[in-house]
Amino acid sequence: MTDLRVNSGEEAIRALHQRLRASTPEVRDAEQFMHDLLERAALSSVCIADDVALPHARTTAVGRIVLAVARMAGPVAFDAEHPRVRLVFLIGTPKAAVSEYLQTVAALSRMLKNVTTRAALLGAPTEAEFRAVLARAQQR
Amino acid sequence: MKVVTDPAKLLLERMLRLLRWRVWVQEKLQPTEWQITLLWAGFAGFLGALSSLVFQGLAEGAHQLLTGSNAGVVESMKQLPWWAVLALPAVGGLLAGIVLMLGKHLTKGQSSTDYMEAISIGSGHVPIRASLVKSTAALFSIGSGGSIGREGPMVQLAAVMASFIGRWRQFTPPQLRLMVACGAAAGIASAYNAPIAGSFFVAEIILGTIAMESLGPLAVSAVVAAMTVRVLTSEAQLYKVPEFRLSSPLEMPAYIALGVIAGVLAPWFLRSLKRAEQIFIATKLPLVARMTLGGLIVGALAIQVPEVCGNGYSVVVTILKGQVLWTTLLLFVACKWLATASSFGSGAPGGVFTPSLFMGAGAGFLFGQAVHAIWPGGAVDPRAFALVGMGAFLSAVSHAPVMAVIMLFEMTLSYDIILPLMLCSVVAYYTAKGLEGRSLYSEVLKKKAAEVSGDAGFGRGQVAELMKSKPPTLTRNAHFAEIARMFLATRVNNLYVTDAQARFLGAVSLHDIKPYLGEPELAELVIANDILREEFPRVGPESTLSEALGRFLNFEGERLPVVDSSGKLLGSLSKGDLLLALVEMRKKPLVV
Repeated sequence: MTDLRVNSGEEAIRALHQRLRASTPEVRDAEQFMHDLLERAALSSVCIADDVALPHARTTAVGRIVLAVARMAGPVAFDAEHPRVRLVFLIGTPKAAVSEYLQTVAALSRMLKNVTTRAALLGAPTEAEFRAVLARAQQR
Repeated sequence: MKVVTDPAKLLLERMLRLLRWRVWVQEKLQPTEWQITLLWAGFAGFLGALSSLVFQGLAEGAHQLLTGSNAGVVESMKQLPWWAVLALPAVGGLLAGIVLMLGKHLTKGQSSTDYMEAISIGSGHVPIRASLVKSTAALFSIGSGGSIGREGPMVQLAAVMASFIGRWRQFTPPQLRLMVACGAAAGIASAYNAPIAGSFFVAEIILGTIAMESLGPLAVSAVVAAMTVRVLTSEAQLYKVPEFRLSSPLEMPAYIALGVIAGVLAPWFLRSLKRAEQIFIATKLPLVARMTLGGLIVGALAIQVPEVCGNGYSVVVTILKGQVLWTTLLLFVACKWLATASSFGSGAPGGVFTPSLFMGAGAGFLFGQAVHAIWPGGAVDPRAFALVGMGAFLSAVSHAPVMAVIMLFEMTLSYDIILPLMLCSVVAYYTAKGLEGRSLYSEVLKKKAAEVSGDAGFGRGQVAELMKSKPPTLTRNAHFAEIARMFLATRVNNLYVTDAQARFLGAVSLHDIKPYLGEPELAELVIANDILREEFPRVGPESTLSEALGRFLNFEGERLPVVDSSGKLLGSLSKGDLLLALVEMRKKPLVV
């Protein structure tokens, strides 16, 4: 999703959750998934940079790893320390998949650590270009 | 461009690097809890050897102070006027008694000092003050020429050192008992320069098992102790003996007969020591007076036979060289028996291990001479019979034939005599065991075991008795940095995660985070909750040890969390402790 218009981190999470729920049957218990995402976000910050958030949950509500990505239309406050988040990557992993979860989060962290990639993602004019930047970054 | 670096980030990166290094070392060397135990066993051996050497030095110092001579005990006694010979052991007994009496105030409330008890039926805790008091008293008994061995206090001190290490490292009771056993092995190895016998002494007599779980650490401790003594004192074997050999198979019947004789004499010897103790107690004299009286008897005997003084080492050397007449030796043996009974019976702290060797050497030599006189072909060299007699007597007294054979071999480094030695020791053991079910050591252990309540040891055989409480824990929102710090500080492979009510939620595994230690960005995001393994196996405090073993069979880790029925984390159970306890339980009927 690009240019998502929301007013808070929780709204961003809900929007991405809604998108995932609609697009994949792997989200088996949407309510539980939402609950686990919000519970995790309440435990500790899910941001890895000033403008990047990775809300995530290890949950029984998904059958396999699911990922939804969105660029905000404007800065969104996820928590007091991260008031200007623009990129949100929402991840759901099955309970037992500890290694896979770490693998996914590590790959995303590596990718988003790159300032150029972040700038390209933020500057992509269309969703297609946004996806292309993501694909190129993934290949690297 | 100036790089601005956050000190917290730098610290985190450094910590992750350290943790990566730790994981690398662990993977390359893979030190398990057993291997770590071996390291501590080696350290216990080193300290045990040092304490033994210090005790030996102090005993010699006490002897010089009391006699004004730096010669051996027997030589010094020969140089003194008769009245001094009479008075000296009595003065030693008096001083030792005073030390023990004064020491009672210092050691009030402390448990028994006996290391065997600590290993076999106790918690592995050997009290320091009480042991120091006993060892100080022993310095006076030994230094004044009392007919008692040095090895007892030396082993005791080595055991104290090991117990101290174990308590400092907060070992669990089975580990602590094993550590004290390592100390005892180091003490024997140092006292007799006999590392194999030191290991087997403890394994065979005290632990009652030669399972590798315990024998390995005992061997490491004994080897380090013997090495330390050899480096610091350049000592070789204890007894330098001429080359003995089995001249003809026809000698074997005589050796078998010697085994029977040693097997009969040894229980008598033990009973006489016990009887002497009863007689001294029956006098109702205070301890100080009893010990003075015991010393006085030794002094009186020493006026005519100064060879009764000390542990008997120098006389054994004389016997093994064949430089003694049988009539003189008969007198020596009789007087030595009486002197040892007096010293031991009066309560002088010390050992009867070396005096037992004396009795065996004396009996063996006398028997060998008798056979030689009647039938020279049946006992070609009576000195060889003295050597074999030592092993046989030791085997019969201690009920530990394997240890006795090995000890004799190590003390003399004479392999030629091994065939008759083995046969004679085994015959002596079976004879003694048939006559008297108790050994020198089982007597002490049985008495103590009867005094200890049923809760000691592994009465119920439940996990709660082996559990180590207060394992390192994390909260579910602990950050990666805290997780890394705790992994570095605790050397465990799984950290337990609990909630505010101390309920067990799962574990964070070092194995899971290992590939990501090079990614500090991840460290800011990941918390314990994200990588928690909720399905982590656990064991209940009331589970039996075999149930716990079953859990370990399907689990690769070294520790399992102990969780009660309400889900509360009570502690952790180590696989090493569990195996040690199962080994201990298997041999329990021997002790009680």
